[in-house]
Amino acid sequence: MHSPVAHAAAATHPTTVAASEGRMEQFVYDDAIVRKFVLATIVWGIVAMLAGVFIAVQLAWPAANLGLEWTSFGRLRPLHTNAAIFAFAGNAIFAAIYYSTQRLCKARMWSDRLSNLHFWGWQAIIVSAALTLPFGITQSKEYAELEWPIDLAIAVVWVGFFATNFFMTLKHRRERHMYVALWFYIATIVTVAILHVFNNLTLPLAVAQFVSSGTWPSGADLMKSWPVYAGVQDAFMQWWYGHNAVAFFLTTPFLGLMYYFLPKAAERPVYSYRLSIVHFWSLVFIYIWAGPHHLHYTALPQWASTLGMIFSVMLWMPSWGGGINGLLTLRGAWNKVTADPVLKFFVVGITFYMMATFEGPMLSIKSVNALSHYTDWTIAHVHSGALGWNGFMTFGMLYWLFPRLFQTEIWSRKLVSAHFWLSTVGILLYVLAIYAAGITQGLMWRAFDEFGSLKWPEFIETVTVLMPMYWIRVLGGLLYVTGIVMCGINAFMTWRNRPAKYAEVVHSAPALSAVYVDPPPPPSMLTSNTDWGKAVETKVLSGWFHRVWERKPFKFTVFTVIAVLVASLFEIVPTFLIRSNVPTIASVQPYTPLELLGRDIYIAEGCYNCHSQMIRPMWAERKRYGEYSKPGEFVYDRPFQWGSRRIGPDLAREGGRQSHDWHVRHFENPQAVIPQSIMPSYAHLLRQTIDFDAIQHRVNAMAMLGVPYGKAVREGQAVELAMQQAREINEQLESQGDYRGLHDKKIIALVAYMQRLGTDLTRPPPAPDEPAASP
Amino acid sequence: MARPKDHLSDHEYDGIREYDNPTPGWWHAIFLATVVFSVLYFIYFEFNATAPTPHTRLARMQLEENRRIFGEIGDLEPDEQTMLMLMDNDVLMSVAAGSFRSACAQCHGANGAAIGLSGANLTDNHYKNVRTMPDLYNVITNGAANGAMPSWQAAFSRNERVLLAAYSASLRGANVPGGRAPEGETIPPWPARSTPDKSP
Repeated sequence: MHSPVAHAAAATHPTTVAASEGRMEQFVYDDAIVRKFVLATIVWGIVAMLAGVFIAVQLAWPAANLGLEWTSFGRLRPLHTNAAIFAFAGNAIFAAIYYSTQRLCKARMWSDRLSNLHFWGWQAIIVSAALTLPFGITQSKEYAELEWPIDLAIAVVWVGFFATNFFMTLKHRRERHMYVALWFYIATIVTVAILHVFNNLTLPLAVAQFVSSGTWPSGADLMKSWPVYAGVQDAFMQWWYGHNAVAFFLTTPFLGLMYYFLPKAAERPVYSYRLSIVHFWSLVFIYIWAGPHHLHYTALPQWASTLGMIFSVMLWMPSWGGGINGLLTLRGAWNKVTADPVLKFFVVGITFYMMATFEGPMLSIKSVNALSHYTDWTIAHVHSGALGWNGFMTFGMLYWLFPRLFQTEIWSRKLVSAHFWLSTVGILLYVLAIYAAGITQGLMWRAFDEFGSLKWPEFIETVTVLMPMYWIRVLGGLLYVTGIVMCGINAFMTWRNRPAKYAEVVHSAPALSAVYVDPPPPPSMLTSNTDWGKAVETKVLSGWFHRVWERKPFKFTVFTVIAVLVASLFEIVPTFLIRSNVPTIASVQPYTPLELLGRDIYIAEGCYNCHSQMIRPMWAERKRYGEYSKPGEFVYDRPFQWGSRRIGPDLAREGGRQSHDWHVRHFENPQAVIPQSIMPSYAHLLRQTIDFDAIQHRVNAMAMLGVPYGKAVREGQAVELAMQQAREINEQLESQGDYRGLHDKKIIALVAYMQRLGTDLTRPPPAPDEPAASP
Repeated sequence: MARPKDHLSDHEYDGIREYDNPTPGWWHAIFLATVVFSVLYFIYFEFNATAPTPHTRLARMQLEENRRIFGEIGDLEPDEQTMLMLMDNDVLMSVAAGSFRSACAQCHGANGAAIGLSGANLTDNHYKNVRTMPDLYNVITNGAANGAMPSWQAAFSRNERVLLAAYSASLRGANVPGGRAPEGETIPPWPARSTPDKSP
């Protein structure tokens, strides 16, 4: 980290730092790109929050889904989460990064063309999300729902346009040292790329089909893919990704944002440089381990779950480091906070950050998680983070930027104040109601009566009781949306008052010289100590070593990647390599071709958004759902469907618990079977026909991934097998009730899958010669 | 403290300055405490064969329930005598009522009358696949009507199924108003209970 040559040079030729700088250069910052990202932030913010309110209403009043297959909760919930994370928060962090990086580097973005490619590419990705998710084109992995063509586009835009532009700007910077905001941007850019690539490794149906038959799938199947991971491993990768999407998309870039915009707005120095160093590295290193806390008590091996818990607990202080560095920066400026709405947004945003980052470790403690998991408690937690921390930091930044970007006074300060109060009340209504809902439902699920039976054995009882809370959430959400609309109006009116032509300030700074002489470490404060002790004090504790890293973006980036990768590999490698993690169960067999198709319908409809398939080893769950789920039951589950929220009951052992007739009537009109049900109707599945011709290619693709399909693939019998099973189910269905002629309808495939769920465990293992795919 | 508080460093970026303040002591203390806790927790639960796990807890609960509910009566036989005896046992009937509500109520209704539902009305005197009390057990175990009534063999133990059969038998005769219309034939009444006047 410290070149001896440079050190010797410093000793013999004492030169000042300034003398080693290059010649003066002149440059202009690109604010047009920031204005674009700001506009996109506001527009997508309104869209994301409206989508949230729309599906929130559906939970309280199911008829609000308009009776259309494209607007049901399961299809639109991913649209809401993707829009909130990648469209609203995404554009906000890009605005922050493009504005602050140029100023912190004293350099215009390296390439205006890449900046614009990034902007338009990202908006195109968002639009493509809106054009695919409502049509059931989804990978069904939370916050990674977008299918493989869009995933490829994300990789190109993120790495090819954004990262290239950012790192080239760093390379051509005119500021010797990188400020803490840039560290967080670096961590964001490299880690999100890694997470995105490894969680989205899939086999597209199009590729499998083209390789094996030279033909292409038709329609939406062109975009269909299955993960290369199955079951336990798929779940592990997904939540390694899912948790760190929160870390590196919603935390680190917003900390970077805070470190730039908060001291600018408060006009106060940052509280502690050394705290920045310590909490940055501890955060980056520890965060990446914490993913398995999303899978407590599941079929994930216990050691992984334990690692997830303890690293979450250890993450508490590294997270709070950012919060206290932010809040303590305001020391001596609290009088400004009362007057300046920008600082008000920042203070409330950081407060929500500190509450959420205390709550996160608490929820990851297993015994707390036993109560909170699958309930609305998690929903309340993420909304205090997303609306409170991400939203308020974004709004604070936007209101600080408006006068600077549009080069005029903000249109209405009163409206800013109104936005602040409306949104604050909105968040509080939302989270308090949903905390109450989560704890209520969690306690009801595990309550027993004096005879040792479940006190609320009918799941619906634990749903109906939540309705008042769900209406309060709608009210809170409406207030929050109204706030963003006010922000949009204020932005528009301010923009209208802009000058005829934006002034472009020409800055000048010397270019960085190639040679830089590291200044010596500060003098030791210790009077009597060993040389070793002095070295630790002057080079390490003083932060001097880090000062050296801050001059070397490449080295800094490599260290960040190492921190992230080492931690990841410690969990990923054993998860994949230790065979005892997933003990095989002889009776667990691949899905039949028809069930496989039914499973893809289940995925497309987004059933996992409301139904888990994971019975935890707990007495209350044993009583309610049956035998707990074993790791070996999921070896053919691509993607896994364990879910994260039980808006409806768990389905892991649903197979055989209801008649075909019950299922079809329930799918057609849930309220006809369970009057208080909030499930949408899936009547369209009784009308749409199965594309039997596509089934063979699906089975072939699964076989390519290593699923032992045997004769169904070898002899191309998948279609025949599927038709035969469909006929059998239809015959049974017709003999059970009034339905007729559904043998070629999608509902039959879905029922086939439902009736298979969880039944393999108690089935006798097949004869060794008859490997698979017979119903 | 080695340095005075609020010593301004010489760092400056776009007008932003940084203090060289030390990290707060309580921050270090809590961070260290969480690390110590984590190490101890991991060692105790991952390197200790006797540490409790969810699975050991679950097995204990199952054992306790078996002992509590079936400990005195042992293995149940699906015959008339046993079921009549069970029907007089208020505690066991309450246990069975819980199972009934979680598994059967979706088709037969919480009160067994299947009001507006597809299952058979269990409160009248008409039956489709049942002539005697053991038939109730067989229907629960094997299902009926080509799967319209599913088999519950995998979901419930033998004892639990006998209990459910007895509970279903006990619903007969309530004739809940508005219940699903009678289906099948009227069958002879259940045999008389051994202790008809037993009060709880």
